[in-house]
Amino acid sequence: MNISMNELKANIIESLRLQDITPEKIDDDAPLFGTGLGLDSIDALELVVMLERDYGIVIKDIAEGRPAFQSVRTLADFIAVKRPK
Amino acid sequence: MNKIFIAATSKVAAADLPSARLGPRFARLDLQSQMALLAVESLGVDFQEFSPDRVAVCLAAKIGSLSTDVEFWNGRDGAGGPSPTLFAYTLPSAAIGEIAIRHKLTGPNLCFVDDDKILLSEAADLIQRGEADYCVCVSCAVVTAAAAELIQIPPETGACAVFLQRGEGLRELTEFDRDMKSLCANFCRPKISG
Repeated sequence: MNISMNELKANIIESLRLQDITPEKIDDDAPLFGTGLGLDSIDALELVVMLERDYGIVIKDIAEGRPAFQSVRTLADFIAVKRPK
Repeated sequence: MNKIFIAATSKVAAADLPSARLGPRFARLDLQSQMALLAVESLGVDFQEFSPDRVAVCLAAKIGSLSTDVEFWNGRDGAGGPSPTLFAYTLPSAAIGEIAIRHKLTGPNLCFVDDDKILLSEAADLIQRGEADYCVCVSCAVVTAAAAELIQIPPETGACAVFLQRGEGLRELTEFDRDMKSLCANFCRPKISG
């Protein structure tokens, strides 16, 4: 089941407690880390927690997580594939 | 030996938090770091005027990081486990780090897990020994309901800050200046948000 981009962005904003950011301000393809949204390593851990808590997805290792965490779009695609049916 | 002066004071409460806009990281901080940052911001000091390695930061955290520790511990049974973000704040001196990050300060620092009765004298000593030229002194009392129940003291959320420097200021720091809350209440600057 595909996840709505806006819904995912709203979940990211809430999980990471980002202030003064709305889903509309987050570009689907902008990098999540470094530039773009400017997230850091603690945020990466929180995203791992969010995936398990809200989507039932457990990330096994960094090799699995790194490509998923490139952008909101790659994260949405990852969730669509990995989410338990 | 130059006399130490109180150059600025501030006092903040939980009610001041909702209107605070102190950067994108602010909402991610634990409550104690938020209160400490807000108190420092409310001093109205422009830290860019000073060499960053000559500004000390001294913190008195009434119950250390216990409020955050309890919140972190209570999250362990949730789906996904306890919060990684909160874990970074299960340390009494975490607020010092956040103050240093925001204002790019690299001077010495002290953290007391206790009330603030010796904070000002220790901070003045830092300056007198030549380890710093200025000192941001912050007293935080963040006792959440969960922490209050654990250690049987009343809950409270508040912080105050004093900026010390040599030579001039609002008035000279004396050996009788031990109660930071009363000191800050007497001087009381308007709070600054954003």
